[in-house]
Amino acid sequence: MDNILSIQNVTKSYTGHKALDNVSLEVPRGSVYGLLGPNGAGKTTLIRVINRITIADSGSVILDGHQITSDDIFHIGYMPEERGLYKKMRVGEQAMFFARLKGLDAREAERRLRSWFERLGIADWWSRKVEDLSKGMAQKVQFISTVVHEPKLLIFDEPFSGFDPINANVLKEEILGLRDRGATIIFSTHNMASVEEICDHITLINKSRNILSGSVEQIRREAGGNTFELTYRSDYDTFTSAIGNLAEIIGESRGVVGGYTATKIHIANDSDIREVIRRINESCELRSLSEMMPSMNDIFIRAVNGTL
Amino acid sequence: MKKTWLIIAREFTERARKKSFIITTLLMPLFMIGLMIAPSLMMLYGGSELRQIIVVDKSGMIQGKLPSSDEVLFVDQPTLTKEEACQTYNAESGIFGILYISEEIEQRGGVQLITNSPSSPMLEELITSEIEAIVEREKLRSRYDIDNLDEMLADVATPIELQTYENNGTGNEEEMESVSSGINYALGLILGMLLYMIIILYGQMVLTSVVEEKASRVIDVMVTSCSPFQLMMGKILGIAAVALTQIAIWAILIMAASKFLIPTLFTADVVATNDVMLQAIVGTLGDTGYMATLFVYLTLFILGGFLLYASLYAAAGSAVDSVQDGQQFNTIIMMPIILALIVMMSVFNDANSPIAFWASMIPFTSPVVMIARIPFGIPTWEIITSIVVLYATFIFTTWLSAKIYRIGIFMHGKRPSWRELGEWLRMK
Repeated sequence: MDNILSIQNVTKSYTGHKALDNVSLEVPRGSVYGLLGPNGAGKTTLIRVINRITIADSGSVILDGHQITSDDIFHIGYMPEERGLYKKMRVGEQAMFFARLKGLDAREAERRLRSWFERLGIADWWSRKVEDLSKGMAQKVQFISTVVHEPKLLIFDEPFSGFDPINANVLKEEILGLRDRGATIIFSTHNMASVEEICDHITLINKSRNILSGSVEQIRREAGGNTFELTYRSDYDTFTSAIGNLAEIIGESRGVVGGYTATKIHIANDSDIREVIRRINESCELRSLSEMMPSMNDIFIRAVNGTL
Repeated sequence: MKKTWLIIAREFTERARKKSFIITTLLMPLFMIGLMIAPSLMMLYGGSELRQIIVVDKSGMIQGKLPSSDEVLFVDQPTLTKEEACQTYNAESGIFGILYISEEIEQRGGVQLITNSPSSPMLEELITSEIEAIVEREKLRSRYDIDNLDEMLADVATPIELQTYENNGTGNEEEMESVSSGINYALGLILGMLLYMIIILYGQMVLTSVVEEKASRVIDVMVTSCSPFQLMMGKILGIAAVALTQIAIWAILIMAASKFLIPTLFTADVVATNDVMLQAIVGTLGDTGYMATLFVYLTLFILGGFLLYASLYAAAGSAVDSVQDGQQFNTIIMMPIILALIVMMSVFNDANSPIAFWASMIPFTSPVVMIARIPFGIPTWEIITSIVVLYATFIFTTWLSAKIYRIGIFMHGKRPSWRELGEWLRMK
């Protein structure tokens, strides 16, 4: 497979702890790649290693077939989770400044920026002060600054946080549009709904290690098969003692409707679903049971808890 | 390099087009001139309120002889006792105080000033010297039996005018440079203070700016387009450019005044006044070449001093999350420069003392101390050595600060300890 980015055995330590422990992953060209993991898992450190903000202690980062160098940051666009603009500058000047730092000459930068501003409906704000922008508009400016130099690799850290649903959708469409025009997108997020919607590959990082990698479809298929949704009539304790250690309840109970409790269980790999049903039937009234494909959210939680 | 230029340009324009910058640039020279003439103005108008002093003279030697002026009016009341005078002319009377002179004038406590409101050293000095002069004359008159003493003294009174020259080995006053230590003092003081202020103000601007960039997270975006070192240097040099622009504007204003204004306005009148000090001031300010040399040195020391301190301020700013947290570092960074200011004051007594020499060589104090010494005439090799040491140290501190900066800008949370800062220095 043609990979635009390849991370090989990257390790990075800070005083007292390892932020990345022998992490490897491959990002296919033209994909939307999800970089998942709980807070503090090492995602941001990995992104900084890719951006050459921090240098890895060992391992290598290969961009487009060669060891990444500081000249390559021109080919990368990065929108950090914490967004910042110079408050005292004018919006247009600010965008121009970032675009020129990325290597565009002044005329080309202005041409592209004007068209992006038009497109995202903030053209009137060109000469206003940054501090007058609403949060959503400031994020649009940030987004434009990230993509204006048309990099082949784009990295977004929690891009939808702080956006209202309408603007989040506008942003999503723009990101997919960039992908269609040939860019590769890396998403760092813990918003699993957006992962299911737009990512085709993921890597899950937990405690500085890559614990799960692959295409979303494949991962869901492999993780599925052992997850079931069921409704029963009984109290919670009776139910849990019935399933014992054959299965575990995933997430919150889905609530009681008409006296029936709906819940999801994941059965252990070596147990048989028929045995589980028999045990439940002994003490509870089992009303319905169906197999379900796990959501990325479930996979995330199970992978992090080590029960995948 | 192109990126560093972009950052320098941004830092520069953001500040230089602020109204506050334009206003301070234009007001500062006025402020400086005010600082120069304030002491004489205060002397002129400061004591404008007339102080009335009741003189109770029991010796009979002084009464009627103390000269009143615009500021002090002596009123003789020889018949009162000290106690009566104090009762009558108390705080409500509006009288400043009572000067009591006992019969034994030369004994301790023989002359007493009893005041209703705070006295001043100048007033006490005035009274003491007047009484001394009166008593001296009285003794001369009585012991040596001289009648027309006042006329004789007026006849022999001789004002002396001391001219100081810089020795060039010829002894010919036509060729030797005339110097005025008063002017040197004033110039040294102004230049030293200016340097101190610029380093502190602009240095703290670096700290504030780094902290703001870090707190607003702009830094996270910036580092994806340029290296932390470019960012730090761009900021420091951008702010340095603002400081230099300010100096350049002042230099142009003062040079223009030196070249055109001073020769046309003052020269004739000044020569007519016979006032040595005033002539020296006009002579120095009107010497355009000398003023230009001073500005070159000033620029070199301001730039070197600023760069040295700015690199430390940048490191401090990168290590903290808020300007308040930066205060502790700020205090430590300011210590040597305040020390420099103290040493500078001693320079005015002896510009070539060992402490003045060494303080103008050690880079953390050298900008302020050296610039204050230069007007007194310092060998050029000393100035050049000081500049070389200063710039070499700046390169070293920048290298050190960059190591802290590149780690610090990504660290949020509690302020790092000194040990942690040490670890950042060693990190790859």
